[in-house]
Amino acid sequence: MNRKEAIQAIVGEIGTDPIVSANGYISRDLYEVSDRKENFYMIGSMGLASSIALGVAIKNPKIKVYVFDGDGNILMNLGSLATIGNLKPKNLIHIVFDNHVHESTGGQPTNTKKIHLEKISKSVNFTVTKISTKQRLVQTIKKFNKMSGPIMLVVQIQKSKKISSRVGIKPDIIHQRFKESINN
Amino acid sequence: MDERIQRSLYNYFKKNGIKNFVGVPDSTMKFFIEQGLSEKNVIIATREEEAIGIGTGFILSKSPTLVFMQNAGFGNSISTITSLVQLYNIPLIFLIGWRGYLKNDAPEHLGFGKIQNELLELLSLQYKVITKLNWKKSCEWAIKNTKKGNPCVLIIRREHDE
Repeated sequence: MNRKEAIQAIVGEIGTDPIVSANGYISRDLYEVSDRKENFYMIGSMGLASSIALGVAIKNPKIKVYVFDGDGNILMNLGSLATIGNLKPKNLIHIVFDNHVHESTGGQPTNTKKIHLEKISKSVNFTVTKISTKQRLVQTIKKFNKMSGPIMLVVQIQKSKKISSRVGIKPDIIHQRFKESINN
Repeated sequence: MDERIQRSLYNYFKKNGIKNFVGVPDSTMKFFIEQGLSEKNVIIATREEEAIGIGTGFILSKSPTLVFMQNAGFGNSISTITSLVQLYNIPLIFLIGWRGYLKNDAPEHLGFGKIQNELLELLSLQYKVITKLNWKKSCEWAIKNTKKGNPCVLIIRREHDE
């Protein structure tokens, strides 16, 4: 399963719940698969997707808030896991697409071949699942409806052969339409 | 800045619609932070960019927010300010402690203290330095900015060297 296939499978299950997606190919893939006003494409500020989602989750406890993150991304802001684990938002679902590389900068290795994000997140109060097949992915997402967060889902993915196009929406518009899509 | 004014700063913001206070601590504004903590209305982040990220999530949820940090932490955050706060026009109020304001401050504070205001100008971030006389007006100015959709900065000077 590559990242785009994984993203397609998840978006098909989560209705209109908001997604904060990390920079690089993650936001690009999400944009190509399903552009929706509930997507906050974070095109810069690497590492901060989970922090932005934490803010949204705290203020909107009645809806589930998803983070689409990467291994390189979360390794840049590991402190975020500690803050989330301390505040324990029940409605935050943190999905890390793990390919062990910084794919958009040329495939340089990250640390996740040898260190395990699932162990780190478990130690800071996340409920953790790790999967690598599309079938398990869909089953797992369906179960989240009955579970209490913070949830960490590590999805093992293969490198993609095709590169998705850049997000074609101006950041100010991304901001405004995301804000309007949340009815708090 | 004395304790009374620091506590008043927090109370004034709170009374005038600023709902969230998130940041990394600075002794320069310890009474301000303490006032918020006493009301369980402060989130302490692990670093400044994280605080800006959380604050951005609050703003996206239509909830006015102040982020506080040392000027050293503001330095850490420059790329996040250009590629998140300014790029998406996120109207956060920044409260930044001016370490290295006094010439006899600790040596590790002096370098950044010297370039801080020039950096703010280079970034085209609007800022005001809070004083005993202007603090209320400065807060009003900041609240007006956030309501208009503009990020802005208030500077609180470190007037002690302990």
